[in-house]
Amino acid sequence: MGEFIQQVATGLSTGSVYAVLALAIVLIYQSTRIVNFAQGEMAMFSTFIAWAFLGQMSFWPAFFVTLVVSAAIGAALERFVLRPVEGAPVLNSVIITLGLFTVFNSLALWRWGGVPRPFPSPAVFDGSPLVVGTVTISRLNIGIFCMSLAIMAILFVFLNYTKVGLAMRAAAENPAAARMVGIHVGQMLSIGWALSAAVGAVAGMLLAPILALQPSMMFGVIIFAFAAAVLGGLNSLPGAIIGGLVLGVTQNMAGTYVSPHTGSIDITVAFVAIVVVLVVRPTGLLGREVKRRV
Amino acid sequence: MESVLTRRNIALVALLAFLVAFPYLYRIQPFNQVLDPFRTFQVTRLAIWLVILLGLNLLTGYSGQISLGHGALVAIGAYTTAVLMHEFGVPVVFAVLAAGLFTGAIGFVLGVPALRLTGPYLAIATLAMMLALPQILKLNGIREWTGGVSGILLSTPRAPAVVEGFMTDRQWLYFACMTPAVIMAVLAWNITHSHTGRAFIALRDSEVGAQQMGVNVPLYKMLAFSLSAFYAGIGGGLFVFTEAFMSPDTFDVNLSITMLVMVVLGGLTSIAGTVFGATVMTFRNDLVDLSASLGLLGLPGKIVPGEEQSSETLRGALYGLLLIITMVFMPRGFVGFVDELRGRAPWRRAARMFLRGRGGDADPALDATSDHAE
Repeated sequence: MGEFIQQVATGLSTGSVYAVLALAIVLIYQSTRIVNFAQGEMAMFSTFIAWAFLGQMSFWPAFFVTLVVSAAIGAALERFVLRPVEGAPVLNSVIITLGLFTVFNSLALWRWGGVPRPFPSPAVFDGSPLVVGTVTISRLNIGIFCMSLAIMAILFVFLNYTKVGLAMRAAAENPAAARMVGIHVGQMLSIGWALSAAVGAVAGMLLAPILALQPSMMFGVIIFAFAAAVLGGLNSLPGAIIGGLVLGVTQNMAGTYVSPHTGSIDITVAFVAIVVVLVVRPTGLLGREVKRRV
Repeated sequence: MESVLTRRNIALVALLAFLVAFPYLYRIQPFNQVLDPFRTFQVTRLAIWLVILLGLNLLTGYSGQISLGHGALVAIGAYTTAVLMHEFGVPVVFAVLAAGLFTGAIGFVLGVPALRLTGPYLAIATLAMMLALPQILKLNGIREWTGGVSGILLSTPRAPAVVEGFMTDRQWLYFACMTPAVIMAVLAWNITHSHTGRAFIALRDSEVGAQQMGVNVPLYKMLAFSLSAFYAGIGGGLFVFTEAFMSPDTFDVNLSITMLVMVVLGGLTSIAGTVFGATVMTFRNDLVDLSASLGLLGLPGKIVPGEEQSSETLRGALYGLLLIITMVFMPRGFVGFVDELRGRAPWRRAARMFLRGRGGDADPALDATSDHAE
């Protein structure tokens, strides 16, 4: 039983990072109907930017400066790369974000090289692990979990109680009507990308102390973030969080209880779970079905 | 009765003659400047990519189903062929055919969950399949056949004694792959110009609309998946002969994504576009290096031999940049771009204005030629 709880706790910590990245994916999908395959690479790139700033300043200033820079990159991408192909078939935007994936990955590799670098975690997260009964949880894991919760809370407040947040939702929900009440829809889309890039940057900076900073750092993570977003429903922010947590726990469970008998199979189990959920509920756990006229 | 000597038939015969002559061309004067046995081998690869990409285009271009996991089907075809040949001693031709049929059957089964998924959800589900496959191939139960992580050692086939003197091993391999590629291309052409092909297109444009017109949507969706998987299986089977070694990680996510990119780049719902896509797929590294060495893209000098690290990685960045630029400026792929150019040609525009001036808005003959991408 102790081991079970231990696995759930570790799974929740991993899952909360998936959830944060999934939130970033959903933010973009909700507003622009684009699945941003470059999300993980953008997060990795932001983390490298943070690393560069860390040479000049201490952790928290670097953290916030990185958020601002990432947001600017995100907004610029929306304005100059995605806007020109607005209204194009889904496949075209998919290819463009795949192109961005390659660009960010190669640029990071070119500028900073492929050698893994240590990335500091804020001092609060260091120190002896927390022990409850037989369960041991590292401070870093708790810190990651808390930071993720904080991001979710901030996003929730922003989207539900601020003018800009509400305008963003209106622009996403019904662009034509939003324009009529005086919302600048194009600006809202840019803000959506900016916000998403910043949220992704947080995920990158949370993961870097565990995975070590390197251009390939997000490969194993981003795919679970996508899966989490899809599992929860691509147009549901709470869905992304639930999807991330469920996936984190499932992956840990499969790794502990199934893999020893069959050879490593955690990814497979996680993905079979997703396909099953999707077949039963094609728009994910909390996603809404969008009815389209023919 | 129409003459057999139409322009199209002559072009087809010429193309066929060129394909037959190609592996020998490098011995002749002007061609030996650019061709050599390695180029022949690259074109052999091109033939295999063509088979695989044709299948993907049938699925994504014609039927409108996004797949980011096509590499998994190729892997299944390749492994089936290798296992059948090495473990069971099945003759080559039958092994490849069996691989195609087996992969096709798997595609049919995969079509079942796909019946309920659309757009991004389907993309993620197929991506999931791609990611899970290496793990499945390494599972304990079938490790004895697949070799697990260490993979399978392969051998390139030797030219049989009958053709000795006419063909080297590489030329033999060329014909062994080009023949099925041509057959599969003709098959794809026939499918897309038949009732089935039109049903696929109807399905892509609107599922509800297709249903209204009497298309059995679930059946044709599953048919699209299994046909495309059949192509992937044959392609994977041929792939085995051009590699010295394969492991579950040979077929990674990147490969699947690149395949989809090439199909879109060439032009969806176009067989000519698929040929273009297969060509770019085969020569993509040569192309980026070439454009860099010519000083295109504004990034010369950075890519020089010796600076291995920067050359390799900048090549990736250029490749991504090219993709984005292509999608922004040629949203319908290369074939769509060519069509647009032809439609914009001055004499054509003049003809159209002339017809419009006389009250005839659309001349069917003009439209038919400019709408050449099927």
